[in-house]
Amino acid sequence: MSKELSKVRNIGISAHIDSGKTTLTERILFYTNRIHAIHDVKGKDGVGAVMDSMELEKERGITIASAATFCEWNNHEINIIDTPGHVDFTIEVERSLRVLDGAILVLCSVGGVQSQSITVDQQMKRYKVPCIAFVNKCDRSGANPERVVEQLVEKLGHNAIAMQIPIGLEADHVGVVDLTTMKAVYFDGDNGEILRSEEIPAELADKAAEKREELVETASNFCDDLADAYLEEQEITAEMILSAMRKGVLERKVTPVYMGSAYKNKGVQPLLDAATALLPNPAEVTNIALDLDNDEAEVVLGSSTDDPTVALAFKLEDGQYGQLTYIRVYQGILAKGDTLVNTRSGKKIKIGRLVQMHSNQMEDIDEIPAGYIGALFGIDCASGDTFADPKLNYSMTSMFVPNPVISLALVPKDNKAQINMSKALNRFSKEDPTFHTYVDEETNETIIEGMGELHLEVYVERMQREYNAEVSTGQPRVAYRETITRRAEFNYTHKKQTGGSGQYGRVAGYIEPFPEGDFEFINKITGGAIPTQFISSCEKGFKASMAKGSLMEFPVTGIRVEINDGASHAVDSSEMAFQAAARGAFLEAYKKAKPVIHEPIMKVVIETPTEFQGTVMGTINQRRGTILGAQEEGPMCVVESQVPLAEMFGYSTVLRSSTQGKAQFTMEFDSYRQVPQSITEELQKKKAEEANKGAA
Amino acid sequence: MLKKDLIMRNPLRAVSDENGYILPEGGLGAVVARAGVGKTALLVQLALNSLLKGDNALHISLGDPVRKVSLWYKEVFNNIGTQYKIDKIDDLWNELLPQRFIMTFNIDGFSVPRLNERLTELADQDIFHPQMILIDGLPFNEQSKRADLHALKELSEKFSSHIWFTVRSHRHEEPDAEGMPIQISDFADLLDVAIKLEPEDSRIKLNVLKGSGSISTQGLSLDPVTMLIKE
Repeated sequence: MSKELSKVRNIGISAHIDSGKTTLTERILFYTNRIHAIHDVKGKDGVGAVMDSMELEKERGITIASAATFCEWNNHEINIIDTPGHVDFTIEVERSLRVLDGAILVLCSVGGVQSQSITVDQQMKRYKVPCIAFVNKCDRSGANPERVVEQLVEKLGHNAIAMQIPIGLEADHVGVVDLTTMKAVYFDGDNGEILRSEEIPAELADKAAEKREELVETASNFCDDLADAYLEEQEITAEMILSAMRKGVLERKVTPVYMGSAYKNKGVQPLLDAATALLPNPAEVTNIALDLDNDEAEVVLGSSTDDPTVALAFKLEDGQYGQLTYIRVYQGILAKGDTLVNTRSGKKIKIGRLVQMHSNQMEDIDEIPAGYIGALFGIDCASGDTFADPKLNYSMTSMFVPNPVISLALVPKDNKAQINMSKALNRFSKEDPTFHTYVDEETNETIIEGMGELHLEVYVERMQREYNAEVSTGQPRVAYRETITRRAEFNYTHKKQTGGSGQYGRVAGYIEPFPEGDFEFINKITGGAIPTQFISSCEKGFKASMAKGSLMEFPVTGIRVEINDGASHAVDSSEMAFQAAARGAFLEAYKKAKPVIHEPIMKVVIETPTEFQGTVMGTINQRRGTILGAQEEGPMCVVESQVPLAEMFGYSTVLRSSTQGKAQFTMEFDSYRQVPQSITEELQKKKAEEANKGAA
Repeated sequence: MLKKDLIMRNPLRAVSDENGYILPEGGLGAVVARAGVGKTALLVQLALNSLLKGDNALHISLGDPVRKVSLWYKEVFNNIGTQYKIDKIDDLWNELLPQRFIMTFNIDGFSVPRLNERLTELADQDIFHPQMILIDGLPFNEQSKRADLHALKELSEKFSSHIWFTVRSHRHEEPDAEGMPIQISDFADLLDVAIKLEPEDSRIKLNVLKGSGSISTQGLSLDPVTMLIKE
């Protein structure tokens, strides 16, 4: 592996379904000699393209969809990182985007900027990923790349500027005019692998000159030398334009637009040239880690190989040799035989086999320097774990893992599905710390828990798609909680003398709200009123009572228990007796302490075109939501709100249909808050109905 | 109880009418100060005052994101909580939250007709009816200053609200003949109240440049540490 960081590109290809991401990726691998034949993805009518590509990928093993594929172009090493297609805000999406230094935004020249492109673009914006655009499918009927450039400006607010103009469109699409060199480029050979550079066709000369003028004007905003040369009407070279554009791209101030048709083998090589010329190398991107010894303070990582090692495991894959962990090194060198610390678990790990992925094969390597991507074998870790030099206690991702707020029961279709489901669940819970799974003791159902409806939906879908586990799901359930609102005293005696040895224990004290945590137990017993050996039984008894509150059988949280008096019997007192006494005491006090139900409140952020602002706010209002504010940003508006999770079921459909699919939202847990009285009554009624149904 | 206590202890009570308002309905008020003296802090306290009364407040910020404005409120509110030793401040905060609405615009994206459009939309859909509107950093177009202010006044009357906005002054500029800062002298007649914040010794004084009725902020100032109004 060469060590010239300036010649490394870690890029993602971002696109919405059916804009040709798979075809483009495959052509890139073909032109970079990673694969040696082109398999057509396309179905007869193009409609089945996506499904076909899936089948194709399956047939050929993990080639195109692998987490990171390495290829070389123009002496540059390019890692193409798979960017997840789903829009939901999950930890997994965040991780994938963190690993990218730049991206190619693929758009369809017919469909243009669609709502999904908006989503993809928002992701890029959120993680400040510099990007270039590729307008694909210029061979299709109705192709209009110029309109797509306009849409990039209007709909996405990009400062988009065409770097090329197409030579012919639809069936006549044969090549492109490069506006930096002012040459026409044609793609010859069976697979467009031979590039032929010629003079610009006469009929396009005027248009090319005009478009170049626009390009130079835009580029000169980013480079004073170019601006001077432009004003003084000196000759402007392609290098000058590219170097100026590069500055603009790195600052995310301009989006150069390339065009062609991956399917017809047009325009892919110039796009690769552009990716190497315009997108940043790892050293040009600021990466931030969190210092765990310093209250998660942000630390900027250096990209030098001399610094202590910091690396992030961003994706796990099941291979035939066990778990393959994809890793990006941010600083230092990760070498075979090194000992690093997994900062999440604190465990030391020794680096064994290191590989680099080459589409369908892997190559053993000795080390991965800063800025590079590789994979390692034989490491037991979860996705998102940070491996760091023992000197550093850095983490690339926040250690704060919120409690799940929603659950869903899963029923596998048959025995095979059951086995596959277990495999999938095991993997997912390793990948995503916010995803939990357990078996409900009462109903014997497998329950999955997570951070939102979409979050769980994505996993159920992945279970079916990747693990072939067919499951049916129950209704999603909100994780309600109970807590108390005032202090209440207890003085409870547990006494039983029917047959056998008796049971005796008395506990007295009080319970009170404890908003800072889940549970606190304070022992203020003096003079041995309760013998020391039974104190822990008391604590156990109280804790056990919190699993189900007497109000509606939700888990109880936020309670401080103090015991300050009690009594015991020389013969009849036992651990069991005191546990029972504590349970009785809790029940006694709990009712007096005015218990209430708390529900998870989600922070919901909706991005919508301004014209739907009112409609969107209306949907929040109907859901017991509180609108915190509305922020106008050009043609888009961001509405921030807090909405109870229970009201958010099916919201994506509502939002889509009320905004013509142009708005999108993200949702994350905010806090637990008391449920209004009317809703509590509704919940109680529903519970009673369910109980009746169960009894019948 | 808690809310009443806070209203009773509010130093702004001294400058308000019997219903707790400083401005008349449909009125306009300006807060003038140099950069960094406490315009936003004062605006937030005016807003909190009306939230505690049970009124709805719409805070418009030009340039700052919703999150930052939200932080201002939380900060000032927590300071008030500490000063008056209120427990369960979070519960009270959650109670007030639905009465507050923050709207942010890019400076060049803001205009009075646009605001009118937004407010009408909010009112039509019954989403939010503000009794108090606060505009932090109202941009002025030199040519249409008076016309803009007229439009704002009309807006205030249309929604029967009280509008406050901030104006940034500069250290080196002399006031006009009537003692008005030059930034507002063109339209001072359209204002019902104008308050200037002026640092003096170790406090920031609230000086009334113009007031309706017997309004006086005599003795009121901002504590430069907590930015809270004190008597």
